[in-house]
Amino acid sequence: MEPVERLYLDALMEDPAVPERSLRPQLLAGARARRRPAAPTAPWAEPYAGRVAAMDALLASAGEDDWSRVIVEGWTLQELVAHLAAKDGLLAASVGAPVLGPAIGATDSLGRTADVQNYERARSPEQTRRDWRAQADALCRHLAALAPGTVATLDGLDAPVSDHVLARCLETWVHADDAARTASLRLPHPIPEHIHPTADLCARLLPWTMLLSGLDGSGRTLLLTLTGPGGGEWHLPLGVEDAAAGGDAPDAHITADVVGFCFLLGGRGDPRSFPADLEGDLALAHDVLDTAPALSGP
Amino acid sequence: MEAPYDDRLLHQRVVGGDEAALGEVYDRLSSLIFGLALRVTRDRVIAEDITQEVFLVFWERPLAYDPDRGTLRAWLATIAHRRAVDHVRAEERRRVSTLGPRLYEPEPARLEDNVLAADEAKRVRQAVTALPEGLREAVELAYYGGRTYRQVGEELGVPEGTVKSRIRLALRRLADALAEEEV
Repeated sequence: MEPVERLYLDALMEDPAVPERSLRPQLLAGARARRRPAAPTAPWAEPYAGRVAAMDALLASAGEDDWSRVIVEGWTLQELVAHLAAKDGLLAASVGAPVLGPAIGATDSLGRTADVQNYERARSPEQTRRDWRAQADALCRHLAALAPGTVATLDGLDAPVSDHVLARCLETWVHADDAARTASLRLPHPIPEHIHPTADLCARLLPWTMLLSGLDGSGRTLLLTLTGPGGGEWHLPLGVEDAAAGGDAPDAHITADVVGFCFLLGGRGDPRSFPADLEGDLALAHDVLDTAPALSGP
Repeated sequence: MEAPYDDRLLHQRVVGGDEAALGEVYDRLSSLIFGLALRVTRDRVIAEDITQEVFLVFWERPLAYDPDRGTLRAWLATIAHRRAVDHVRAEERRRVSTLGPRLYEPEPARLEDNVLAADEAKRVRQAVTALPEGLREAVELAYYGGRTYRQVGEELGVPEGTVKSRIRLALRRLADALAEEEV
């Protein structure tokens, strides 16, 4: 904005005034009708509900061209949204929440994705968007009454439902970012309170991503410093069976940006060019980073 | 001018579907936006409609706002101004058309990118020139020179508080001068 324009607008705002009746209640009611707020849910599921609302805001501005554009995995935006709905539906099925869309046939992510994509292809992008949002919100509402430690199963992986939900949060976040990039839009980060638990999940996954890549980090520990809003410090055992890291000095220390680190786990970015400060056992630190994307599927 | 951290956080919360954040944005900025709309339209009912709509637009299409390009206050003010001017122009067209047939329709205002048309920007600059010396200097340094109030104070050798009150007085005078011209 030109300085003269800023000056002009500031001059026009030099006489603040208050409407006779507050417009606030009317505004909030009107807002709800125009764009659905994040679904009410359990506090530990709020990061996920927030990413669903952000993705939906992005989809609200998608035009016809955007819906048919390929985003990732050879999928168009409509197919990508169907993929998110498929995985949300599988988690919903696992915890007894309503499953929307086609009846459950395949129970693995890829199979269910194909089923939901086939179902949605016959529908308009706007319907796909509504179906996905309805599934996500139904899951959120169901989670409101669930204990975070309730075991859920997705793709044969048993874990507390709260961890599965954070994984859904990360995937929704990463794909919303994919779609925003394709549309040349900038998607702001989640709030720090939502980034932190997502980063915590990513940190706790490191022993698993190493193991899945054929590396056993048993007996070794990592100090992970994630910088930026929502970051923090984690002292982690790198073996999946290891007890929590004690007071001993860590074998390696990695310092990196918290959002960049979450996206690395989410399969975005090349571990070899990932900006991070490494100290201690550098070979171990490199192993951790190189294997970090191992759990990121489509 | 980039947005401060507060604006970014409120924007992040609104993108994440947090209604309470919209309420906070409204509490913080509605009197400025309503004041602006009232100044331009001189109609309380219309100004209320515009105010409401401005905040609804932010809620419904939060990604249209880019904190790297300016403050939330400036962005909302731009939308409010555009809508208020559209209203005034539509009213003018309506008044004129009841007086008789028109030979031509005026070009619709191109306001997508610019708040002010070139001739309007010129009027604002002229109004600045007409300000008393002390006020003019402060405004020119702060707006055209991009200085902070503290820096303006150092350059003019006056306390920061004095700069603040001079600029407020200058903005008021500018608004009055520009409103008078329009009558």
